[in-house]
Amino acid sequence: MNDLYASIIHDVKNQLAELSLRLGQRGDAQQEVGITMAAARRLSEMLLLYRDDNGQLRVNIDTRDPAGFLEILAAEYRELFPALAFQVDTSRAPAFAFFDDILVRMALGNALHNASHAARSLVRLAVYQQDNMLVFEVADDGPGYPEGLLQTAGATPAQVSGVGTGLGLFLARKISALHQSQGRSGCIELCNASGAVFRMFLP
Amino acid sequence: MSFSSDIAEKWVLVIDDMESMRSQLRMSLSSSGFAKLHLVANIKDALERMASNHYDVILCDYSLGDGTDGQQFLEYLRTNDLIARNTIFVMITAEQAYEKVVSVTQCVPDDYLLKPFTAAQFNARLEKLLDRQAYFADIDKASDSKNWRKVVAECDRRMAAKDKYYIDLCRVKCAALTRGKHLQEAADLYREILSLRQIGWAKLGLAKVLSDLGQKEEARELARELLKENPQFMAAYDFLGKLLALSGEKEEALQVLQQASSVSPGTMSRIRELSNLAVGVGKPELAETVMRQALQKHKYSPVRQATDYAVLSKALVNQGKADEALSVVAEAQKSFKDEHSVVVLSATESVAHRAAGNHEQAEAALAKAMEMGDMTKLPAHTVVALADACFALGKEEDATKLLHHAIQDNQEDEVIRNRIHDVLVGAGKDASEATAMIEASTREVILLNNEGVRKAEAGELDAAIASLTKAADRLPNNLQIVGNAAVVLALDLVRNGVVPDKLAKCLHYRDGLVAREPNHPKLAQIDSLLKQVKT
Repeated sequence: MNDLYASIIHDVKNQLAELSLRLGQRGDAQQEVGITMAAARRLSEMLLLYRDDNGQLRVNIDTRDPAGFLEILAAEYRELFPALAFQVDTSRAPAFAFFDDILVRMALGNALHNASHAARSLVRLAVYQQDNMLVFEVADDGPGYPEGLLQTAGATPAQVSGVGTGLGLFLARKISALHQSQGRSGCIELCNASGAVFRMFLP
Repeated sequence: MSFSSDIAEKWVLVIDDMESMRSQLRMSLSSSGFAKLHLVANIKDALERMASNHYDVILCDYSLGDGTDGQQFLEYLRTNDLIARNTIFVMITAEQAYEKVVSVTQCVPDDYLLKPFTAAQFNARLEKLLDRQAYFADIDKASDSKNWRKVVAECDRRMAAKDKYYIDLCRVKCAALTRGKHLQEAADLYREILSLRQIGWAKLGLAKVLSDLGQKEEARELARELLKENPQFMAAYDFLGKLLALSGEKEEALQVLQQASSVSPGTMSRIRELSNLAVGVGKPELAETVMRQALQKHKYSPVRQATDYAVLSKALVNQGKADEALSVVAEAQKSFKDEHSVVVLSATESVAHRAAGNHEQAEAALAKAMEMGDMTKLPAHTVVALADACFALGKEEDATKLLHHAIQDNQEDEVIRNRIHDVLVGAGKDASEATAMIEASTREVILLNNEGVRKAEAGELDAAIASLTKAADRLPNNLQIVGNAAVVLALDLVRNGVVPDKLAKCLHYRDGLVAREPNHPKLAQIDSLLKQVKT
């Protein structure tokens, strides 16, 4: 990437970092922190997209504690959405798993962001194993995914919409697919139950 | 949110060049319950703090102004043993091209925190890291004291539970097995990990072990495979470069390191390797460019060494720019005043003077280097650099003597032997002659050792002690000789009762052994003999 563009993005992220920590100190500005973090996420998404376009999007897979990983993510969103309840089910989590924590955190962060906006009162997070795949699940009690989205499931980056769902899902799909082991690759799955359910499968 | 553990007792160091970030981090940390905080703006201040204080947690921003970055700083800390294994090092970064930051290098921080982050996220991460710190405390302590046997035992004890740290434990155990020279076991465990998942570090670990086991071809294949899978795997370039250089394929090694440099801003150790190789294969222009750039960038940073200026000077001399070389040396002499650096720089200065036609000054500089240097205390690389300078001034006898010493003192060090070979070839010997010289010196030291052992076995303890202690004083890094000197002294103490001088000498050699290799096989023998000594 052009050095000048890169350094501008770098500065903006630094400013957002400072802003979010400042707002965090106030105790009455969760929504503002949320907006700051969402803005930063858009920048990160743009960078991921750029790397993907240039064939530079790669995974760095190592051993991780999936339960601890999910708890950290939940802690962040509890802070951003204090009115919502976040349930984390790690009872079926394997002790350790292999994935790229930075990329998967971005992908799940996006799903969690969407779920938090759609939820009425509850967001449920879970991690478990199924058919030798690690599954991360994010479910809310909102109105569910619109029919069109269920069909495309992030196959293409959708037109940038008000909530930005399209790009996040597109990247989540990319990130899961980059996780490969013994001839199998990861994927995502969207469905509606008592709200929207997002699942990421990693081999 | 606050932590349940003894947070208030943990010492935290924050390194960030942005004042506003420092004050925000201070508030976040304070409100989480951390009470012992130091915040600094640059590496120099960080090192000063670290010299007088032990930190449990270091939070370091990746971009620290224009000079040395967080990754290079971490490498410096780890390679110079300036932080304990158990210290948590977190890299904070807003780096746009974070694939460059989060590259797989030899020295990986315990965690990366991408900016921006919320206080809750930060706290939750730190809490996990502190749990991990407590879990690994005993193992890390054993690693710090190089007690590899204990590291392996502690890992084994915890691995049975197959908990969330299982693979981390495997990794630490593999490293300890490798360091303790249980290479086959290490290879087996790496293969076991790889059967679970093709993780990069396990593959590289296996490659290193295979190389140590003499299976260089397999090692090379694995490293190449790794780089094909992940061109961001910096540690694999470094390993492959070293492997190729050791087998004499210097052009190829140079290519690999150049490729690495195009992927990531190099750490100083890679720049060092690259420049040395470039000078070695007759590309002094390349060495000059790379090293000048690096030294400019790290102008005020502790990651520089006197030897870096020495290489640059050599690159300049080889291009006929002796005057520039002299000013490079003069610049270095302003900031490096320790004995080792003074010797290296004087030797370098001498070569540059000679190239500039200043014969008297060349002689004077060399005389200063020779006078300063107590060979038994200087690092092998310095001794070799000194020999190189002697050759340049036509003092072949001095040079040969120095190299002879370096070979015998570092009998098993492949890198040093390789470097000596280069110096000999550079001085005009042909390759076979160089190899023969190295082998002759090695043979001599082996004979010396065997002779001592034979005398001891024949009951001539006094003679054995005389020859082995003399050799051990001369060659303090040759652990076989030092170990055997301690053994014959201990044997004498068992047979003839305590003589204070002999006991002191025996313990001195034993300590030397422990300091260099705490699991040295001779230690058990020495200790069991010492137990039988009647006081």
